[in-house]
Amino acid sequence: MARTITLRTTSRSAATSVAQGATLESPWVRWTLTSIAIVFLGLFLFMPLAVVFVSAFGKGIAAYFASFREPDALAAIRLTLLAAGIAVPMNLVFGVAAAWAIAKFEFIGKSLLITLIDLPFSVSPVVSGLVYVLIFGLQGLLGPWLRAHDIKIIFAVPGIVLATIFVTFPFVARELIPLIQAQGNDEEEAALTLGASGWQTFFRVTLPNVKWGLVYGVIICNARAMGEFGAVSVVSGHIRGLTNTMPLHIEILYNEYQFVPAFAVASLLALLALLTLVVKSVVEWKSQQDLKEPEEDWSVEPA
Amino acid sequence: MAITLKKRSILPGFGLTLGFTLSYLALIVLIPLSATFLKASTVTWTRFWQTISDPRAVASYRISFGASLIAALINLVFGLLVAWVLVRYTFPGKRLVDSLVDLPFALPTAVAGIALTTIYSSHGWVGRYLEPLGIKAAYSPLGIVIALTFIGLPFVVRTVQPVLEDLDKDVEEAASSLGANRLQIFTRVILPAILPAALTGFTMAFARAVGEYGSVVFISGNMPMRTEITPLLIITKLDQYDYAGATAIAVVMLVASFTLLLAINLLQKWSSRGQRGESREEAVIAGNPLEPSFVQ
Amino acid sequence: MSIEALGVTKKFGQFTALDNVDLEIPSGELVALLGPSGSGKTTLLRIIAGLEFADSGTIRFDGRDISDRTVRERQVGFVFQHYALFRHMTVFENIAFGLRVRPREHRPSREKIRAKVQELLKLIQLENLAQRYPSQLSGGQRQRVALARALAVEPSVLLLDEPFGALDAKVRQELRRWLRQLHDEIHITSLFVTHDQEEALELANRVVVMDHGRIEQVGAPDEVYNHPATPFVYNFLGNVNLFHGRVDGGKTYIHERETGHLVYVRPHLLDIARLPNGGDHFRARIKHINAAGPLVKVEAVTDWGALVHVEMPQDRFSTLHLLKDESVFVIPRDLKVFKVHEAER
Repeated sequence: MARTITLRTTSRSAATSVAQGATLESPWVRWTLTSIAIVFLGLFLFMPLAVVFVSAFGKGIAAYFASFREPDALAAIRLTLLAAGIAVPMNLVFGVAAAWAIAKFEFIGKSLLITLIDLPFSVSPVVSGLVYVLIFGLQGLLGPWLRAHDIKIIFAVPGIVLATIFVTFPFVARELIPLIQAQGNDEEEAALTLGASGWQTFFRVTLPNVKWGLVYGVIICNARAMGEFGAVSVVSGHIRGLTNTMPLHIEILYNEYQFVPAFAVASLLALLALLTLVVKSVVEWKSQQDLKEPEEDWSVEPA
Repeated sequence: MAITLKKRSILPGFGLTLGFTLSYLALIVLIPLSATFLKASTVTWTRFWQTISDPRAVASYRISFGASLIAALINLVFGLLVAWVLVRYTFPGKRLVDSLVDLPFALPTAVAGIALTTIYSSHGWVGRYLEPLGIKAAYSPLGIVIALTFIGLPFVVRTVQPVLEDLDKDVEEAASSLGANRLQIFTRVILPAILPAALTGFTMAFARAVGEYGSVVFISGNMPMRTEITPLLIITKLDQYDYAGATAIAVVMLVASFTLLLAINLLQKWSSRGQRGESREEAVIAGNPLEPSFVQ
Repeated sequence: MSIEALGVTKKFGQFTALDNVDLEIPSGELVALLGPSGSGKTTLLRIIAGLEFADSGTIRFDGRDISDRTVRERQVGFVFQHYALFRHMTVFENIAFGLRVRPREHRPSREKIRAKVQELLKLIQLENLAQRYPSQLSGGQRQRVALARALAVEPSVLLLDEPFGALDAKVRQELRRWLRQLHDEIHITSLFVTHDQEEALELANRVVVMDHGRIEQVGAPDEVYNHPATPFVYNFLGNVNLFHGRVDGGKTYIHERETGHLVYVRPHLLDIARLPNGGDHFRARIKHINAAGPLVKVEAVTDWGALVHVEMPQDRFSTLHLLKDESVFVIPRDLKVFKVHEAER
């Protein structure tokens, strides 16, 4: 009797596993694949992140905070904030303008324009820095004229700002274009029929609808602006306390074997990166909530 | 009658926004980039060829492109795996893992560089176990591959993930009802569907790796002919005030970038054609502004 | 306010959406633009609103040419097919939008805006949902909010694009009645687009039938239904039996091979009898009977093999006692003859 029951259960579970087999692997395959993925990500993502903080606090909390009392470190932080403070708003204005033109209108050469906006993504940061040296450097196209007028761009703050703008150029635009495109024109048309002006339509209808995408575009643009290394390295000239940004300062400290201060400054940028990821998750969650239009809500009786 | 360059629209602001977009694009990107080619054109062809075919330069191409290719291949395989695991399976902490995949996009390359060097140097968390095995990770070509794998990690995952999510389970069930086993379903039904996206991600990871500088300089050791990547060679030439030489190498890199950008665009067109049926439907629901509005 | 369209033509690439359309809508009417998809009705509506520009032709409001006015300057009330409610604003904010964006010197005071919105909320019977977001409303509720939003700016013309298209049958019925009442109260010149002939005939006091970018007929609902001007209108406004035939000496002959004319008869205008009662008739054999519903639908096959649909009231059916496979006489009470080239246009 007991035997028959056991048999039956077995055949039943066999049947369900066959049914699952169509779209799901056996548990040990799943387990193995998941483990490999976790180990891979652990090696390449978690560990680098962890080592930054572990090394930063390697000689205690006091040593960690002492790193930020260095005048050079403070100067680097100030310069980084300045460069990002100029680059991000400029690229924000550009991104919004480009997104409006591209997402709302049909014109010839549109896909070429989109490709050109993507260009800074595909150019090596070092080359990005180099192009500004070739224009504004001493031997550059405008070099003699700049020297005659005593204007310094390369190995000075303006060059760092320019290089930062270049490498973070596409971020806001790329984030906004697909979003605004997906919104369609209906709400803008409705606003216009109700007598709203172009600016009113943009600020009261278009912008609120893409605000989360805009927030993420700005925050990722900011993270990249503050963290840019290659392009800034080429145009900066590495003058301590004057033209060193945070990443450049990290490089100098690291090469001088001052590991705790190097990782302490790095930990600030790592925190910024984590904050960026948090904002991204929140934004994704928020925009999913917005998209999810509940089915007809009949809990309220239509009057 | 002039050729109409733009469909007439009732929405305002086209002239203003496009005008600003084009001027800003020209000022920040196009004019500076063309200056590079202008500068390169002042160099004689023989001198240009000498610079870019110099053994040290050729060695740097081999290292940059070779390491990038290996890193992109690693990312192709593991990116597919990670995307698969994230879409199809559940495990504790999955959401956290999912959002951390974007870390290489957000973490400054210099930070990644010093972190990876610390981990893989002979006293590091991983390096100390590799050294007894005779494997030198930091300050070797392997280190370059490690850094470039980190940099390109999100690309394949993020291009494949949405395609995998949209993939209908019906199709797999249909294949199964027709007698295909799990492996056959994967190779004949799933793989063809995600292949264009995977290749797009692969090419993006490769393109990013070729130009990468910050994360590599710390871990590579920067030995000419052995671990010197092309971007570093440009910097070296700049430090020696060899602007013509730096420009010549930069032109090689730019041409490579443009070729890869073109390849990515074509791949993206290809992958969107694969799902046109669905995306068209979506476009209608979303009221795609690109479609003429006479559809009633 | 009256609306006039004169010689309006609009092309999208190779596709002609509107082909030299003339239309006049007197002030205060409720007019339906009726046609199949692709007939150009929505395009005409959007051109009148100023949301689209005609390639040629003029639009006049009260006799004034407003073709070059922007949508903003035209001050029309427009209700979009999918409502186009501002999804980040509450119902209240949606309705108040048009008043709040007015230039400062024309903007009503805060209290006046509030009062106006309250009044409209009452009109659409959604007073207690003012603080909800569009995503928390049912389709019918969204539709009413869209209407209130359009009415808030006190437009002189109300334009509605498929106003009930996205709603289910019952809600659609209710809203139709409600819109009819509303129009009776405020008498605003209203123009709505629909592909549903029943909706057009029931709601409008004038119907404009369109096809392939042209206007086929304009008239009161009973006029276009009972006296269709073209075969298209006849076909589009209800079920129809179609016979090849010919007209000879004032008499109509129906036969399979006779050509030159097409004869249209609505199913309810055909009668069935066991004996030929001296008038026009033809013979047929009953193939199928569907007695569910207010009308009994009978399918019969003529001598020459064509299928004929007949509809009759239940009581007529029960007095006849029709049976399947029975041979009967079919008697047309009224029919309409078109020349073939007219019908094939």
